[in-house]
Amino acid sequence: MRGLLKNNFYAALSNMKAFSVVMLFFGVFVAAMDNEVPSLLIGYMLLGMVGFSLNSIASLRIESAGKWSKYKLTAPVKRAAIVKSHFLSLLLWLAVGIAFAGIGTALSIALHGFPFDRNTDVFMLFVVGIGISLFTGAIFFPLFYLGGEERNEAFIVVSLLCGIGTVMGLTTLLNALFPSPMNTAQIILAGIIILGCALSAFALSYPLTASIYHKRER
Amino acid sequence: MENILELQQVSKAFPSSDFALDQVTFSLPYGAILGVVGENGAGKTTTIDCILNTIPKSGGTIRIFGREMSDADTDIREKIGVVYDGDNFPLYWTANQLSEVMEGLYAQWDRALFRKYLEEFRLPAGQKIKRYSKGMSMKLAIAAALSHHPQLLILDEATSGLDPIMRDEMLDVFLEFVQEEEHSILLSSHITSDLEKVADYIAFIHNGKVIMTASKDDLVYRYAVMRCKESQFLALDPGDILAYRRRDLQTDVLVPDIRNAQRKYRDVVIDHASIEEIMLLLVKGE
Repeated sequence: MRGLLKNNFYAALSNMKAFSVVMLFFGVFVAAMDNEVPSLLIGYMLLGMVGFSLNSIASLRIESAGKWSKYKLTAPVKRAAIVKSHFLSLLLWLAVGIAFAGIGTALSIALHGFPFDRNTDVFMLFVVGIGISLFTGAIFFPLFYLGGEERNEAFIVVSLLCGIGTVMGLTTLLNALFPSPMNTAQIILAGIIILGCALSAFALSYPLTASIYHKRER
Repeated sequence: MENILELQQVSKAFPSSDFALDQVTFSLPYGAILGVVGENGAGKTTTIDCILNTIPKSGGTIRIFGREMSDADTDIREKIGVVYDGDNFPLYWTANQLSEVMEGLYAQWDRALFRKYLEEFRLPAGQKIKRYSKGMSMKLAIAAALSHHPQLLILDEATSGLDPIMRDEMLDVFLEFVQEEEHSILLSSHITSDLEKVADYIAFIHNGKVIMTASKDDLVYRYAVMRCKESQFLALDPGDILAYRRRDLQTDVLVPDIRNAQRKYRDVVIDHASIEEIMLLLVKGE
């Protein structure tokens, strides 16, 4: 697994370096700007979490070039381990995205005060960012192994749209379920439900992807 | 002699293609080099893909170290070194990064041995692979394949694209590898001169079928090509003819026993056959 994770890391490294620099400058800009209207901060938080996740899955195309994806199968690793490494890599890069979002938000709040109506708004933004990332990954990986690397870009777009759509759909559903206006406990419960659904979809996607990869002709 | 690799009636069909592997059977003994020769598209890579389980076979059995290898048999793959033609590794890696990844994949990865090969092959460890020449990339792939102490090397067109000097250098490495009697090499190539230099056995593959398997010594010293005029050709015993090919006024006839042919056909010019000539007669002849 260590070798596979290193392989995934090197595949993503170049894009991640560039994206990190962009996020760093964007973060400094967001922290420096007055946050009375928090839309810039919201954009920064979501971009950090979803952007790092998307870069992680986009690296599958990079490492699929040449014979390496076939060569990997001749190494002493199971196909399921290869798939698992991609799921773990996404989680690790999502953690980096959360860290960027968290640090940027903390700096902005420290410098300009709390910009949101309620404390739970920050929590819900993290829920949305993590939810979109996990749903996107859960949809992308089986599609990638089913359809092949040449359709990678289309699958990323489709997965991202489905990820956003699923989070929005769940949010709408939960808003309808709970009486309006929701209290703090209900908002936190809704956030936990969205996170739980996203994690479940992500976890269920792994055996499905491994099964597709196992049957796939290289 | 015990075999490190055995293929019995291996077949592989592709739903979207007319090409299929058809009952491929051959074996590779311990301590030997088996050359698989055939034209482009003959089925060499498909055979290797089936052996390595990178594609599922449709039928037959493949035994490596006496066992059929499934996805779960990582212990078998630990003992196999592989080199493909072309880009084996991502081009954005350096040799150092390759070593780090391989160390995480192979329990037996020997970093010191890999560094020794890098020095021996004059490969810069910190340079990205995309800056390597084709020859350097192939040398790197061979170094990587050898650096986890495999028992079986599977080389798919590993010497194609290399200049004669580099090829000779690599062939020496392969010969050194099989000095250990537990080591074997399966080497697919369409460069027949390479196989003539190093192979102990040769399997000819054409249109997905193995059309002949023989020891190289037999092919070089026993097989022969008779250069027949039309009248001489017509007088030949059909049982002596393996394949023939008409060329203007002459017909080249492949026969399995040069001494027998020399005894029976005293007035015919008979030459020892090169692997290339045998392949051409088997593939393009009748």
